[in-house]
Amino acid sequence: MNHVLNITATNTPAVVERLLQVTRYRGYELAGLELTPRNDARSLSITLTVSSDKPIHLLTSQLHKLYDIQQLELAGAELAVLSA
Amino acid sequence: MKGAELVLQVLQQHGVDTIFGYPGGAIMPIYDALYQSEVKHYLCRHEQGGAFSAIGYARASGKVGVCMATSGPGATNLITSLADAMLDSVPVVAITGQVSQAVMGTDAFQEIDVLGLSLAVTKHSFMVRSVEELAATLHEAFAIAQSGRPGPVLVDIPKDVQLAEIDYQPENASTAKVAPVNTSLANAAKARALIAAAKKPMAYIGGGVHMAGAMPQLQQFLAANTMPSVTTLKAMGSVAKDNAHYLGMLGMHGTQAANLAVQQCDLLICLGARFDDRVTGNLQKFAPLAKVIHVDIDPAEINKVRFANVALLGDMKQILPAMTVGTNCADWLDQCAQLKQQYGWRYDHPGERIYAPLMLKQLSDRMPDNSVVCCDVGQHQMWVAQHMRFSSPRNHLSSGGLGTMGFGLPAAIGAKLARSQDTVITVSGDGSFMMNVQELATIKRFRLPVKIVIVDNQRLGMVKQWQQLFFNERYSETDLSDNPDFVALAAAFAIPGHCITRKDEVESALEAMFTWPGPYLLHVCIDDKDNVWPLVPPGAANQEMITELKA
Repeated sequence: MNHVLNITATNTPAVVERLLQVTRYRGYELAGLELTPRNDARSLSITLTVSSDKPIHLLTSQLHKLYDIQQLELAGAELAVLSA
Repeated sequence: MKGAELVLQVLQQHGVDTIFGYPGGAIMPIYDALYQSEVKHYLCRHEQGGAFSAIGYARASGKVGVCMATSGPGATNLITSLADAMLDSVPVVAITGQVSQAVMGTDAFQEIDVLGLSLAVTKHSFMVRSVEELAATLHEAFAIAQSGRPGPVLVDIPKDVQLAEIDYQPENASTAKVAPVNTSLANAAKARALIAAAKKPMAYIGGGVHMAGAMPQLQQFLAANTMPSVTTLKAMGSVAKDNAHYLGMLGMHGTQAANLAVQQCDLLICLGARFDDRVTGNLQKFAPLAKVIHVDIDPAEINKVRFANVALLGDMKQILPAMTVGTNCADWLDQCAQLKQQYGWRYDHPGERIYAPLMLKQLSDRMPDNSVVCCDVGQHQMWVAQHMRFSSPRNHLSSGGLGTMGFGLPAAIGAKLARSQDTVITVSGDGSFMMNVQELATIKRFRLPVKIVIVDNQRLGMVKQWQQLFFNERYSETDLSDNPDFVALAAAFAIPGHCITRKDEVESALEAMFTWPGPYLLHVCIDDKDNVWPLVPPGAANQEMITELKA
């Protein structure tokens, strides 16, 4: 199933690669990615949509450990299914 | 001052007096600054060895290990060691030189995308883009390496940043602080209730306990809540030697008593461990009757592979006392004591040839208190874990998560420099030893009195054992019977040595090794048919151990 993660991250050169690397390594498929710099350009708003049969906490708990991730929220699972 | 000098100033601010590395083009400004620095640099002979020495230094001392390398091949040579530090949660700061920013991205000489390479093998990594951000970045690197669950941090510094001028006053600089550990004791009451109700409780102890500095709290916990305990490879030495209820290491090559008891327990208290596959065997069949209390500093480990009925996150030093409630499990303790007696090790090996388990027990009995033993990877590594006793996990350095051959010799160099008063012994195999054999030159140069014991079966023994058991005795590429003469090899580095082949030579050879004041190599030839027992076959439950079988 699809899961949508709303992420605020520090705008560092490798932050998107880090997100994608952890997502791939932990076994989640990328189903969507949007990012926009926030007003101050020092952080990014990222919407990451992933697909997997695994429980999503196995990914979010690893993403939380990334040093450049400031905030991470899981959008409602039903919403994710609708938008997929 | 230049950025390069600033690097060394910041290292000194963090109390770093020992670093390991190898120079090259893109890090020459830092090596130039080192030339007159108080920081002592130990020249390794391969960057992988240097970074393993930093790991050995960190693990033996509890401090941050620091290593350096140049761009391109220097940096790529660090990758395996950083991965090792990542999987064993070792605080290391690696500094790499990078080509100047003017040519970055042009496939310049010795340019490779080190930041990109670092993603999978570090806790975090930085590319420094200006000398103004250099100090803050280095301070942050030290803070991240030590915060929470420790790990390696890489800082890639372009040559122009090293050469740039900056006015830096260390005394005015604010240093990033190690993040405080958030501890929640909200679930402590639930944990106490489970412990009080358990008829067959078991403590499963991992490396997280000693890394949290919670060794005294662990002994108090095990005394106040009397229960049997088992340890992982990384936690060997965590349980006091006089604790009668300790059953040894669990897992693939664990003791039969440990594995059988864990399979029967009704409450498994996992302390700073992560249900690694080498511990659990078949995960679905692991400790099938047990409820689980999981205590860890890393939230990502909770419910990762095994559901925890109760989880406590944070500082082990605070959590262990909060879980104390007392136990009432005399029958269970008796049952475990019986298992321990029934399945004790036997050393009555027939014949004249040296039996590695017995030789290692003799080594363990003879080595001075607080000796550090650094292992490589393979059969000898498991024999060390089975047959040697340690008073602290900082005295047993073994590559656990990554299982990196070539770890032992350079790790011993780091351990010896961290703890010059203590005896440091490398126990290696004939396969592993050759993987970082060049570090003998480091031992020679700095006259480091490291004792080297090579357990030689002229095979890649562990792979051979699996070929014998699971690949129809097809011994593909595991014959090393054309090994070099190890004693002659050591002699080429001015390290004396001796070769033994018979049991009755062991005691006097160990005596000679320990009596000799400098580095020494003891070449111990064993039968290539000896294997590591017990063994839990792949896919099997931990009670399905197989024992003794000759090739």
